[in-house]
Amino acid sequence: MFSMTIIAILMVVVMFVGLYLKSSPVLQEKSFWQLLSSSEWKPMKGEFGFLPFVAGTLWVTLISILIALPVSLLTAVYITEYAKPYIKRLVFPILDILAALPSVIFGVWGVLVIVPWISQHVAPHFMDFSTGYTVFAAGIVLGVMVIPLLVSLFIEVFSSVSTDLRECSLSLGATRWQTVRKVIFRQTFSGIIAATVLAVSRAMGETIAVLMVCGCVIGIPTGILDPCYPIPALIANNYGEMLSMPMYEAALMFAALILFVVVLFFNLLSRIILYRLEKRLG
Amino acid sequence: MSIEVQNLNVHIKDNHILKNVNVTLPEKQITCIIGPSGCGKTTLLRTLNRLIESTEGVTIEGKVLVDGQDIIHSGSEVTELRRKIGLVSQRPCPLPMSIFDNVAYGCRINKMFNKRRLLIYQVQKNLKAVGLWDEIRGRIRTPASRLSIGQQQRLCLARSLAVEPEYILADEATSALDPISAKTIEDLFVQLKEQYSIIMVTHTLRQALRIADHVVFMYLGEIIEEGSAEEVFNHPQQELTKKYLSGAFS
Repeated sequence: MFSMTIIAILMVVVMFVGLYLKSSPVLQEKSFWQLLSSSEWKPMKGEFGFLPFVAGTLWVTLISILIALPVSLLTAVYITEYAKPYIKRLVFPILDILAALPSVIFGVWGVLVIVPWISQHVAPHFMDFSTGYTVFAAGIVLGVMVIPLLVSLFIEVFSSVSTDLRECSLSLGATRWQTVRKVIFRQTFSGIIAATVLAVSRAMGETIAVLMVCGCVIGIPTGILDPCYPIPALIANNYGEMLSMPMYEAALMFAALILFVVVLFFNLLSRIILYRLEKRLG
Repeated sequence: MSIEVQNLNVHIKDNHILKNVNVTLPEKQITCIIGPSGCGKTTLLRTLNRLIESTEGVTIEGKVLVDGQDIIHSGSEVTELRRKIGLVSQRPCPLPMSIFDNVAYGCRINKMFNKRRLLIYQVQKNLKAVGLWDEIRGRIRTPASRLSIGQQQRLCLARSLAVEPEYILADEATSALDPISAKTIEDLFVQLKEQYSIIMVTHTLRQALRIADHVVFMYLGEIIEEGSAEEVFNHPQQELTKKYLSGAFS
């Protein structure tokens, strides 16, 4: 069992080293910052600027978290603080099912429902024409995908608050909502942040559902109704054709490396916050 | 102003926890509710400020009259009731905020003061009332969790007093404390009974002997005997009370 654990840890190291070695040709040509800050993407000419993809990833992640955070927070508050036991028993399996749905299903739902809705009902208020394949569509789909994970994490965080603490607040004449806002949120603040950071890392790495609705147009989005091209979509879309061009392969491996490091960073950050929370709670 | 419990029955799921409880809790006295573990003391206490309602599967029958008004069925405002009936729980439970904010919490929630000066005065007054002011002076903005357990319990008492209740419920409020802190809390209760009606659940007979004015003895969800401390401790009428007081069971 110990050796299996070591293998699991080594996998992460091996992946990092593998991605670094594979992306080294492009890193020898241009510096890390040049690659990240340039928006020129012309693989045929050997121009690899990752800014549009980084911007796309950040836009989609931001929108998805803005959508998922309030919904998940209030759902978890309702389930832990207000819901009757039979509602809890009903909600937990539904959340599990939602979390276990393959992401392609969310993608299809996005293409069939969200994209036409944006194209026909949202975009016309702001511009002449939009296909609907936008940052907003990707943000909504991703947000909905992240909700089950965030709700489960928040429920766990709120359940860690002792009943005594709730009752102390209630016994001073506070309403349940005042108790939630002033005591439970405050007590679990680091837990809420840790869960959100974990959800951000999940959202950043999500590929297929986002790829189906984001538009896959190379360019820095200037608003939520612009199409975008997040890093995971870039890798997945171009993986097949990269073998013929060594530098292109190296560039895509560099994109994977960025994603790997960012997701790892957010995961570690979330763990550190949770560790500190546990330590503080004793 | 007193609390009168009439024909109170509390069921939690299939368990009949309180059985036809009838009792009048006198004002400006310390009433100790005594009895062996699981006899319904805490349930009775939690019914008085309706915290019992958050328990899954609970049903309540009967009346609890606080100042003549039935708090169970009248549709009265639960938040106002709880402001009027303070609670000091078994384990000290500081809220995740500073010492000052802990004491000010209830005042802010109940919008008691519109001037900050008055709020500061109220916090100081109640920290002084529980003898904590001199000990924590200069670090009133530090997190309450940094206080010792005994200090935390006094802080909780100050917090309850700050919302100007008429009654104080104490659920084995000294059981988690060291003897010196427990004695401090007991002494505080004795001082406070001039202003408040105190209803205290205790597991320690000696504590009840020391501070009770009125005693309620419960067994298996029923009130077996109640009366002045003098009557119950020195001239118990019921056989079960005699046995309990003699230490035959606990």
